[in-house]
Amino acid sequence: MLPEEGSDLQIMSHAVVGYPSLEENQPAIDGLVRAGVKLIELQVPFSDPVADGATLVNACHQALQRGGSLATALDLAKQVCQRHPQVSFILMSYLNPLFRFGLEDLIGAAAEAGLKGMIIPDLPVENVEPLLPLCDDLGIAPILMVTPNTPEHRLERIGRAARGMLYVVARQGVTGKQSQWGEEFRCYLQRVRRYTDLPLAVGFGVRSEADLHALQGQAEVAAVCSKYIEWQTSLGSERAAAKLAELTAAI
Amino acid sequence: MIRSEDGFFGQFGGRYVPEILLPALIELEELFADLRDDDGFWREYLLLAQQFSGRPTPLTPCPGLTRQLGGARIWLKREDLNHSGAHKVNNVLGQGLLVQRMGKRRVIAETGAGQHGLATAIMAARLGLDCTIYMGADDIERQYSNVFWMRQLGAEVVPVSTGARTLKEAMDEALRDWAASSDDTHYVLGTACGPAPFPELVTYFQSVIGLELKDQCQEEFGRYPDEIVACVGGGSNAMGVFAPFLDLPEVRLTGVEAGGTGPRPGAHSVRLSAYGDQQDAAETGIAQGFKTLFLQSRDGQLGATHSVAAGLDYVGVSPIVAHLTETLRLTPAYATDQEVLKAFQLLMRTEGIIPALESSHALAGGFKRAAELDKSQHLVINLSGRGDKDIFKIARAFPQPEWREFLDRELARQSNEKEGSTDVA
Repeated sequence: MLPEEGSDLQIMSHAVVGYPSLEENQPAIDGLVRAGVKLIELQVPFSDPVADGATLVNACHQALQRGGSLATALDLAKQVCQRHPQVSFILMSYLNPLFRFGLEDLIGAAAEAGLKGMIIPDLPVENVEPLLPLCDDLGIAPILMVTPNTPEHRLERIGRAARGMLYVVARQGVTGKQSQWGEEFRCYLQRVRRYTDLPLAVGFGVRSEADLHALQGQAEVAAVCSKYIEWQTSLGSERAAAKLAELTAAI
Repeated sequence: MIRSEDGFFGQFGGRYVPEILLPALIELEELFADLRDDDGFWREYLLLAQQFSGRPTPLTPCPGLTRQLGGARIWLKREDLNHSGAHKVNNVLGQGLLVQRMGKRRVIAETGAGQHGLATAIMAARLGLDCTIYMGADDIERQYSNVFWMRQLGAEVVPVSTGARTLKEAMDEALRDWAASSDDTHYVLGTACGPAPFPELVTYFQSVIGLELKDQCQEEFGRYPDEIVACVGGGSNAMGVFAPFLDLPEVRLTGVEAGGTGPRPGAHSVRLSAYGDQQDAAETGIAQGFKTLFLQSRDGQLGATHSVAAGLDYVGVSPIVAHLTETLRLTPAYATDQEVLKAFQLLMRTEGIIPALESSHALAGGFKRAAELDKSQHLVINLSGRGDKDIFKIARAFPQPEWREFLDRELARQSNEKEGSTDVA
């Protein structure tokens, strides 16, 4: 189940399929679940991830060398969705691997694997709209992104097409750098709320307990993704999960 | 002139970018839509190109080559004579006018051979803009003289060390910068690729090449050429010279890609032709913001490429070029690294012109075609850039012992000066 509007802040975290290895993906995800994470993105590694910063770019490149792909992502999704029915898994991928697979087929395969939603950063809302009937039929939520510079008319269009939750990019730029949560950010969230009743997932730059406290009462989901992958890289999956457990305990 | 349908050329093109980049692209598209049919704007652009870059560039006959090859009369459209030494400056000067209108204070660009980066650094210096150039770490090694001049001009050159460390990665990194900076920064995309409106906008400015050529052909031989040949990396010089001729079916348009060292995956960047018995022919894909033919794996990962010419070493191709190839208006060809070096030397020795290695692909393809044509026919090769930047590569391909000895002496001089200055300090 995806969270509901107005529910308490919860953490969404991340796995790059094939990073640090295909074998390690499942135990790492088990660790996240034990840490209390109920929303997990499975990122299909891509050769040219233009919305990602250095941490995820490097993770993608290593994952590709270790067999990460859309096919292995769907396999992993099947396993982890069965093992952890209380957790919502979301497919995150750049467009080309999905385009090659066939977007409509992919939506079917994602539903069959038990995934709850999809995040495709380089698929604009105009291209998502034609897919909505199929997504709605199969229960796959296309999770769309809004950014601080998204103009009102696009917010409205995105608000209409979005399903599940709305991914609120906290600042301009790519993943993996700190964001600010001041008055400007609060106004931004209020502006976004005018166009949707969906829960808001804030991502890009959520990296610490302080960030989570700042988001409590403002958003329903905080995406701790690059930071988790950084921990996974420097500390290993087990200790990275322990770090996540500290964060979930803090909220 | 070619126009997109809502950013598409047939099935290719479009605008597939993260939401964060859309406002900047739409701003650019609206500005371009306002200006493209404004004769006053085009005149302003032509005046700038004339005053700053010496346009129009000449159309040079090549009697020696024509005699030697025994076929069509060969002409060169001399984009190498532009300020900065390549056609890239045409697009950059045009985008500079747009930057001024948008009031942005910083420009960024990707570059492969360094010619586009150099042109952008020149424009930024002239207009007083901050400038950051992204360049693959391997390309920096291949085209160091351009890196040197970009830095002298005040640009920051950022080496990109991810993936294959060439043009594709430089473009990824420029897009990442732009996602953070589009409020005050313009991305001067260097070729007819990327998300709409770039393919159309870059073609618009580069079409100055073909428009001049139309007049020059009439003047020189009273009709249009039988064939025009250009090299195709991203496709901007090719689209520049081809665009004004698209509606003239009697003019054959040939695009020459980089055959590299052969038809193995990662050894070439041929996207428009079937190449040898390769299993990994380019397929339609969507990446780096647009839909085109990409060299890629079956599951949609972009592939590795190679060419002796850094400027052609790119995994995708202009959506306009892909469309023209699919509709058979453009004839694709390719030349291997070896053929290119031969053509380079032949032009140099026969006509006294030092071409860029990128442009030498057009020469290799053009020479082949000229020999197949009749003496009464005219063939124009777009000489997109000059070869000064390739001095190190050429020095290795055609070694002279004196060059090596000179480098040793120069290195010794530089380290002596360094020690000398340390003493003074």
